[in-house]
This record gives sequence, structure tokens and C-alpha cells, in this order.
Amino acid sequence: MRLKPGSQGIVFDLQRGSFVDGPGLRTTVFLKGCPLRCRWCHNPESQRFAPEVVDRGTPSERRVGTRMSVGGVMAVVERDRAFYEHSGGGMTLSGGEPMAQPDFTAALLSAAHTLGVHTCLDTSGHAPWDQLRRTLPVTDLYLFDYKATGDGVHRELTGVDPTEVLGNLRRLTDAGADVRLRCPLVPGVNDGDEHLRTIARLAEELPVRGVDLLPYHALGRGKRRDAPVYPEPTADDRARWEELTGFPVTS
Amino acid sequence: MKTRARATERLAYLEAFTQTHRRLMDGPPALREAACLRLQLPWQFAPLRPGDVFAGRLNALPLLFSPEDSGVGYVFHADRLVSWIDRDALTRAERSRLERVATYWARYRTDAVVRRAYPAALSAGLPSDAWTDEPGIAFPLYRMAGATLDYGKLLRRGLPGLAEDCRSVSDEVLRAALGQAVGLLNGLCRRYAQEAERLGEHELNTTLGAITDRPPETLREAIQLVWLFALVSGASNFGRADAYLGPFLTADLASGRLDQHAAQELVTAWWRVIAERNTVFNGRVVIGGTGRPDPTAADAFARLALEATRQAPGPEPQLSLRLSDDQDPGLFDTALDLLGEGLTYPILYDDATNVPAVMHAFGVPRELAERYVPFGCGEYVLEGHSFGTPSGVINLLEALRQVVLAAPPGGFATFDGLINAYEACVERHIAWLAEQQKLEYDVVAAEASCLYFTLLYDHCLERSRAIFDGGVAHLGGTLETYGNTNTADSLTALCACVYDQASLTFEQVRSALHDDFTGHDAARALLNTARKYGNDDDTADAMAARVHEHACRATAAQAERVGLDSYLVVVINNHANTILGRHTGASPDGRHAGEPLACGNNPSGGADRHGLTAMLRSLTRLDPSIHAGTVQNLKLSPRLFSPAHRPKLRAMLEAYFDQGGTQLMVTTVNADDLRDAMDHPERYPNLLVRVGGFSARFVELDRDVQLEIISRTCHGAT
Repeated sequence: MRLKPGSQGIVFDLQRGSFVDGPGLRTTVFLKGCPLRCRWCHNPESQRFAPEVVDRGTPSERRVGTRMSVGGVMAVVERDRAFYEHSGGGMTLSGGEPMAQPDFTAALLSAAHTLGVHTCLDTSGHAPWDQLRRTLPVTDLYLFDYKATGDGVHRELTGVDPTEVLGNLRRLTDAGADVRLRCPLVPGVNDGDEHLRTIARLAEELPVRGVDLLPYHALGRGKRRDAPVYPEPTADDRARWEELTGFPVTS
Repeated sequence: MKTRARATERLAYLEAFTQTHRRLMDGPPALREAACLRLQLPWQFAPLRPGDVFAGRLNALPLLFSPEDSGVGYVFHADRLVSWIDRDALTRAERSRLERVATYWARYRTDAVVRRAYPAALSAGLPSDAWTDEPGIAFPLYRMAGATLDYGKLLRRGLPGLAEDCRSVSDEVLRAALGQAVGLLNGLCRRYAQEAERLGEHELNTTLGAITDRPPETLREAIQLVWLFALVSGASNFGRADAYLGPFLTADLASGRLDQHAAQELVTAWWRVIAERNTVFNGRVVIGGTGRPDPTAADAFARLALEATRQAPGPEPQLSLRLSDDQDPGLFDTALDLLGEGLTYPILYDDATNVPAVMHAFGVPRELAERYVPFGCGEYVLEGHSFGTPSGVINLLEALRQVVLAAPPGGFATFDGLINAYEACVERHIAWLAEQQKLEYDVVAAEASCLYFTLLYDHCLERSRAIFDGGVAHLGGTLETYGNTNTADSLTALCACVYDQASLTFEQVRSALHDDFTGHDAARALLNTARKYGNDDDTADAMAARVHEHACRATAAQAERVGLDSYLVVVINNHANTILGRHTGASPDGRHAGEPLACGNNPSGGADRHGLTAMLRSLTRLDPSIHAGTVQNLKLSPRLFSPAHRPKLRAMLEAYFDQGGTQLMVTTVNADDLRDAMDHPERYPNLLVRVGGFSARFVELDRDVQLEIISRTCHGAT
């Protein structure tokens, strides 16, 4: 028997009671596999599109990635309904890059929507517009990454060309989607003045809901032992970010 | 010379107390108690100090009558005696007189009398009292803990009113003894009044004078009377202080006797003397909740109480906030402020779940259930109405271990066979503990009348009976269960590995436990892959619910048999999870020998891996209507209290309570601070943590207790 496209996907982690992945309390579904190679990536083990064993031969050796069905994920998501209702929360798809499993992502968003659960899609925007467009009717809020300014820099820091990303951002806002810009900032890596000013300009030009400046933390979620480490922002860095963008740094 | 005079005076006290006890041995216990108290109080109450806002400070005596001073009834502390009396200052003859005192009390201290009263079968079932030092499944405790008196009645009637109430008692002996008890307290007030006058503490002098003459009229008088009554009675928890003090506060504010600032100073001063008493596990003050006669006045006091906790932070008082619709919602916001500041208080209780649960567990109507208050580490009693001292400890995990280790060769053929054997073992021990509980009440009743408790407990005066001699309206008992979570996770692991998947044989598990997993790494790894309680996992949580319900129902079923109005489990946990863990061998949940048991209803440290909401939902799976209190700890990162996250935190707690959560105790710490505090205790003198049912300064805890707290999952903003 052939499974319907998108009825299964590879999940890297399921985090319940998240405070930081959208409004209210969220169940965040981390989908495994990402076409980007951001230098600061906290979760390199989320990049490959298959279950794998990481930190092999060390005490933290573990298997990462599980094949799950839409029903399996939704059974977990539904358990926290009372928490969503009290907090205005819901389900967030993150990754990896959820749009790299477009059928599964669309199916999850659709299932949550049918159940009346608020949906967020945390995406790099690096996906064919046709795929992203499918999510419009079932996504309440996009958490849209804006990571670097300038074609060369973007390619160097993330491994992909920004043209599609920026195009998708405009297409989403043109289509009337609710979008928050999410800007991970790593001191000395992607926090140049030009980038910060561009964030401010984008926020002014586009009807986005807001901007989250996400400071780099050396201790990320599920951090792998060999993940790269950068300096954490100083108070001066934060002040400059806030001054040039006009937005507060997320605590 | 001075040293010698002091030593001989103290010897004289010990001998006089002893002779009085012996002389009145065959007479009515009420009169003996009153006579002993008459000797004791002058020694027990320390002189006033300049600047005292409230009178009343206790000396630690080696020999005294007390319901729960590390003992019960007539209490003799051989260890305290060493520092209390300088033996070198005594003559040889005096030293041998001192020995005779010690010999007498080794036999006649009330806990020894209780122990001697055990029938042979009970002695065989409960062979040891040394629960902190020896391995074992069940141990008795000796105390009449958790008296939560009807202070509202005390304040309405005052000392003259209580004296009058005593006169209505039909039993002549009890009437006389109760009258003497009130008289002794009156005398104590007068003594302190004189001391206050000598020290030039005029307001205190006036306050003390007033409460000897009439019921209190001001907040200051009311707190003073409650404080002295608590000390003289030995009660160490304060019940619904906002309900009984609120009206005094609002009257003072309305009349201009006090302004807000002065009122706050009084409440904070009370907090400081409660802290100084340092009972470690007690000092509960309850605010909020349904059933307070004047909610507006009570709320006004509750706000001062919360602020007092901020101004005088420390392990005591254990401020506890009952949440209900019948109160200022701002109390909850202030509570979150305090918790975010790392104060560990207030402890949160939700009336919407607790009141119906108490109705069911205690078998009482709503208006009585609304009088529930947690005392000590979190046991519920009905204020002024029920008594429910925890009189036993059962280590469920040790029961399971012994069943596994003693199983027939090859083990149990089925999982049902295993769990039935475990449940039978637990039931056998609970039956002994229930018998002990009733026996302890009976012996205490024969030994003493607990006169001050009798004065302020429902029905005692009307029935003309001492509290434990048929006086108290509801005579309950409570049993402390430990290792609940480890037992459930062990059973889940055995069910999965040995019976469902057959990945291990029973004998492999038995050998692994026997060898504390040394050389059994693969077996331990397999057991560890089993599902764990605390992840909102139906299989693991259903097992936790089964273990919980079995222990609770088996306990409750004993009440009628032994003659109690209720006998209920409490999952209160002080630091017994760590202490019992020291003597508990390896267990099938993968826990090594000597490691702590999980605390209260919580998951084992680090076993909850699916986020905070998943853990909270697991907590709500344990039926609250069949026990008398459980504790659940939450270790949170301060980041969750930041302005960005705070509304989510509040919503999360509300959703938890909405889904049937009964209680939460919050410790707010940076994960790294605890480790740093172990290395540099001098930098963290005031770092407060919730251990189990009590708070402590982290740096003062035993190393293994510190490590247990560190091992708990710290929930951050991820």
C-alpha cells in the first residue's frame, strides 16, 4: 500500500510547553532536514534528511530523528489544548526546515487547523513559492527568518542564495499573511550595521507583525558536542542592535 | 559558682518535673499535665529582649511536655541534656541523681510507652524506629504533629472567655485542668508584661495586659495572643491567619490606630519570630481560599503577608496561598512576583480541586472541607476540626525490591503475579502502620490531655473530653509514602522488559539489582529505555496512577478497622526521599543503590523530557480525592518570570490547576547557581530552595540533598 504524500515525516524533536516559538505556550514540532548550512546552527543533527546516530562513541551518543505520522504528531499536540486555550498558544512547526518536508508540513498545519489549534510556521523561507503558498490557508502566523543581508554574505553564512527567501517574504505579506521577522544575531558574524538597518527597513516597508531579535546563545537546545561556538553578545552589542533596528532584543 | 548554681537549678527542675510526673502517675492525666506545665513554662519561656515587638521565645528544654518537639507527650532529649546541664559542675551525688532522671525517662517518655504498648505481632511487623538509619519498608513515627487550632475562637473569646468556656465542661477533673492551663497562659502574659514594663516597652506591656483582661481588640493584641498560645500549646502551624486576623487589621486601619506601614511592620515582625523559632518543617501560614467569613478583610491581611515574606525572606513561615474565585486576583500576581524573586513562597493550592477532593477523602460536607489547611510539609487537616498526625513512613520502592529479591526461582510467571505480590506486601505493612497510628493516639490519650489543643478543637469542650480521648470531632491519621514514582517506573520497566518484550529475564533483573548493576550495563540500559512517569505518557502515567491509587485506597480502607475517622496517604516528602534512598538498594527503574528516590509526586530527576506541560499533565493524573495532600516541585529558570514570558507562565499555572492540579511549589534558580553554590557556599548564604515539603537555605543542606535538588529538571524558556 502506498501512503498518501505527507502522511509521514521525520521529526527531530517534539517540545511541549515552549515559551519561545510563537504566541502563548507552544508545542513545537522540529522537522528533520534542512537545505541551509547556517554557520551558527545549534542543531547540526537536524540538517540531514534521515534518522541518524550522533556523538557516536561518546557518552551522549543518541539516535536523532523519528518517522512519525500526522496522526501521531497531532495526538501529542492535542494533549496541551488546555494550555493553548489559557495562553493563546498552539502548534509551531520548526526545524530543520519544515518546508523541506512540504507535504508533511502542509498536512500537519491542515490537521491542526481542523482541530482549531493555532498554527505557526517557523521557516527560513528557502522553499519554492508554490509549496509555501499551500500553507497560507492553514498558517496563522509565519515566523520568517531573516538571517543576513547581501547575496554574497547570505550565501557565505547560510549556504543558499537569498533571492528566493526575500521574494517569498514579499509574496507572503502581499498575500496578507501574518508574519513576524525572526533575526538570529551572532556578534561579529551577522550583526553588521548594514544588516541591522536592513531589518529596520524591511519592517517599515512590509506589513510584518513585528521583529524578534534573537541573540546567539552558546548553549542551545539539544546542542551537539561539535557544534560551533561563537561569543555571546555583550551589552554594547545589544544596545547597538536595538538602536539600529528600533526593536528590542528578545530576552 | 555561677555555673554550679545554674547546673543545680537545672537539676532541680529536672527532678521536680520527674517527681511530679511520678507522683501523679496513677491520677488523671489532665491534672498531671497541668502540674508538669506549671513547672515547665518558667523554664521554657525565655526572657524578653529589648526591642521585642512580640513576647514569647522558647528555650530548647531536654525534658518537657510537648505534642511534637521531636517526640510526643512527655519528651526527653538525652542529646539536648548534654549541652543543657554542665555535668562537671555537679557533685558525684548530683550526677547520679541526674542519671536516675535519665533512667526514669528512658522508660516513661511517651514514645517509649507507645513502643512498649505494641502487641507482639505489631512489634514483629514494625521492628525498628530508626527510619533514618536503617533499611526497611515501614517505620512508625512518634508525635502529635499538625495541630491547627481554632484561633478564630481564641480571638473571639480571649483568655477570660476561654476560662469561662472551661467552666462549662462537665467532667470535673478536665474542667479543673483546663482552667489551670488557661491560668498558666494568663500568668505567662503577666510575667511578660512585667518584663516589658521593666524594659520600658510600654506598648508591649499594654498589649500583654489587655489580653489577660479581655478578648483582643487590635491586630497587635491578636497576633500576640495567637503567638503565645501557639508556643504554649506546642502548635507550630498557624492555619488561615488572613481569615482570623483580617478583621483586626481592617478595624485598626479604619480607626486610624494603624496605618498601612505600621500594620506591615507588625506582620513582618511576626514573620521574624516565626522564623526565629526555626521548626524547619512547620510554620505554615495559610492565606486565600473559599470559606473565609470576611474575604475583603482577609485579602487585606494576605497582601501584608505576601509583603512580609518579601521583607523577611527565609525558610519560615511557609506561606501558602489557596487560590479561589473568592479573593483578590492580585494575590496570585504578587505570588508570582515573589516566586520569580526566588523566595519559594507562597506555595500554591487550588481550591477548585482541593475542596471537593477533601470532601471525598475526609468524608465531610463542603463547609468543613473549606477549612482544609496544609500543615508541616503539606498534610491537610481541617482547621480546628480534625487531627491527622503522620505516624508512619512506608517506602514503597523497598517493598517492591524485597518482593523481587525474594521471588521464587525464575520469578513470577506473570506481571499480575508480581504486582499482586507487591500490593500484598504493601497492604501488610500499611495494616501494621494503621494499628500503630491508633495505638499511638490511645496511649497519648491515656498519658495526657493535650489541654491547650483540647481548648481550641471543635467538640472537645462540648463533649467534655480531652482531644484524643474522644474529644476531637474528626480523628484522622496520615501515612507518609515514599518512592511512589520509582516504584511506578520500576513496575513499568519490569512489565515492558520482562513480560511484554521478554528482553530480560526475571533472574537477570534480580541479579542486576543484587549487584547494583555492576556488570549489568546492558540490563540497566534496557530498563532505562522503558517509559517514565512525567512525560504525559499514558503507559507510564497509568502505572503511577495505579501505584498511587493502590497505596491510597489500601490506607483509607484501614480507618474503620482500627477505629479512625480517616486514615489517608500523604505524599508530602520533606527530605526523606534522599534519606530513605541512602538505605534503598538498586531498583528496576535503573536507579543505583543509595541514590535518592524521586521527591513527592515528581518524576525522577531528569526523567521528564517532553517539556513542562507534559510534566504538569502527568502530575494531574494522580487522583487527589483519596489522600490528604501531596507535594509537587517545579524548578524554574528566572527567565520564565521575565516580562515577555510572565503571562505565559501565569497561563501555564492556571491551565495546570484547571486540569486538576492541586498544589505547586516553585523554586526559581539559575541552573548554574546551584552548582556554583556547592563550590562557593559563602557567595550564596540566602539562596532558598524548596527541598520537599519545606524550604531551606541551599548551602545548609547535606551534600546528597543538594545533589538531589540539582538533579531535578530545571525548566527554562526553551
